[in-house]
Amino acid sequence: MTLWEATQHAFALLFSGDAALWHIVWVSIKTSIIGLLLATPPAVLLGYAIAMNRFPGRRIAVWLAQCALSLPTVLIGLLLYLLLSRRGPLGPLEWLFSQSGIIAGQFVVGMPVLLAFTLAAVQALDPRYAETARALGASRWRVMTTVLHEARYGVMAAVISGFGRVISEVGCALMVGGNIQGETRTITTAIALETSKGEFAQGIALGIVLVTLALVMNGALMLLQGEAHTAGGRI
Amino acid sequence: MSALLTVRGLRKQHGERLLFAIDEFTLDAASAYVLTGANGVGKSTLLRILGGLEAAQVDSVTFDGKPFNLQPYPKALRTAIVYVHQHPIMFSTSVWHNIAYGLLARGESKAVVKKTVEEAMCWAGVDYLRDTEPARLSGGEKQRVALARARVLQPRLLLLDEPTANLDGSAREGVIALIPTLIEQGSTVVMACHDRDLIGLPGVQRLKLKDGRLEHRPHRTDDAAP
Repeated sequence: MTLWEATQHAFALLFSGDAALWHIVWVSIKTSIIGLLLATPPAVLLGYAIAMNRFPGRRIAVWLAQCALSLPTVLIGLLLYLLLSRRGPLGPLEWLFSQSGIIAGQFVVGMPVLLAFTLAAVQALDPRYAETARALGASRWRVMTTVLHEARYGVMAAVISGFGRVISEVGCALMVGGNIQGETRTITTAIALETSKGEFAQGIALGIVLVTLALVMNGALMLLQGEAHTAGGRI
Repeated sequence: MSALLTVRGLRKQHGERLLFAIDEFTLDAASAYVLTGANGVGKSTLLRILGGLEAAQVDSVTFDGKPFNLQPYPKALRTAIVYVHQHPIMFSTSVWHNIAYGLLARGESKAVVKKTVEEAMCWAGVDYLRDTEPARLSGGEKQRVALARARVLQPRLLLLDEPTANLDGSAREGVIALIPTLIEQGSTVVMACHDRDLIGLPGVQRLKLKDGRLEHRPHRTDDAAP
């Protein structure tokens, strides 16, 4: 099958409403969004806390957060597999080869990106914001909400990058989810499988969905961000 | 005149270098001071320490007759003392919300916040900026909004870090004109500035930070007295 034929076949699959294909898309979106929703609050809080406070070992915390960005997802998958397997400490949860397992994986995969980007955004913010808030009598909580509001473009960028990482990762979802048809098959694990079987049409179709999803999600988040300032100022 | 703030044995070090060691100084209630000194002598640092934004070693602090520690910075001082940056930064909300910020943080009722903020906008002459994006204000406008933002809290002590630096002409006069009314409302005002642009307000006392020490010079009318 040529690439052109495979692509034509892919569009035919997409527009014919192939149930198996759309179920795969649904599993991917659902697990990514839930994983991201669970990871965002603790990651943002932790990123903020590391950025704003001086404490022993702070540099090590920053270093580890940045290192975690380059952790291969298969390694995260392996560790989770061991934790979640029947004899592992989290075995009783019975999350292995389930969507809950994939969500746990997305949580762990997304966390470092969200944390490191939030940390960088808060660190880069003008310290006068926090100082002014404190000088005007804001509580610690209000200082935090004020600072995160001022750093919102950076925090949004963290969420966009986090989504990109969790929707596109394949290693962890494959190992922890198990790529079970109709259960834990995600866009990326399906593409890997279909390609290995020589079924390029479905792989391409899913690839198109993945790219479209990335465009839509990034577009939506950009709209949410509002009009960010350009670095060179405005005319 | 009663003492508002007395500080004894204030030392600030940057690493190995001693920035200043001040034996004692007192600020009176409802009085105005200019704090002068060369660049880098520690004027801003001194104000930031008093405003609870920077740490320092201190033997004793008495505010309104009561003793306090500076670390951790006590809530009573946080409510009574407000520090304003040399280049105030505006929260990217609205001019109105910037001025309301401290009142909202104190949990004041909506009616009180609205009334106080409206008054302060008129006082600072920034009413026309109501719908302007805070980031687009000029230096003088930002300084006036920052003064309004501090004034609504009715601080006992207001610390202004070079309020007229980099302002000239009417912008500078606009800011200076606001300061006497702050003193009239019972606030003590300390303004850091350079000798050359010493703010010529009547009755202002001078504090000079030089060689790590603080000299107090009463205002000119005292000098002229027999």
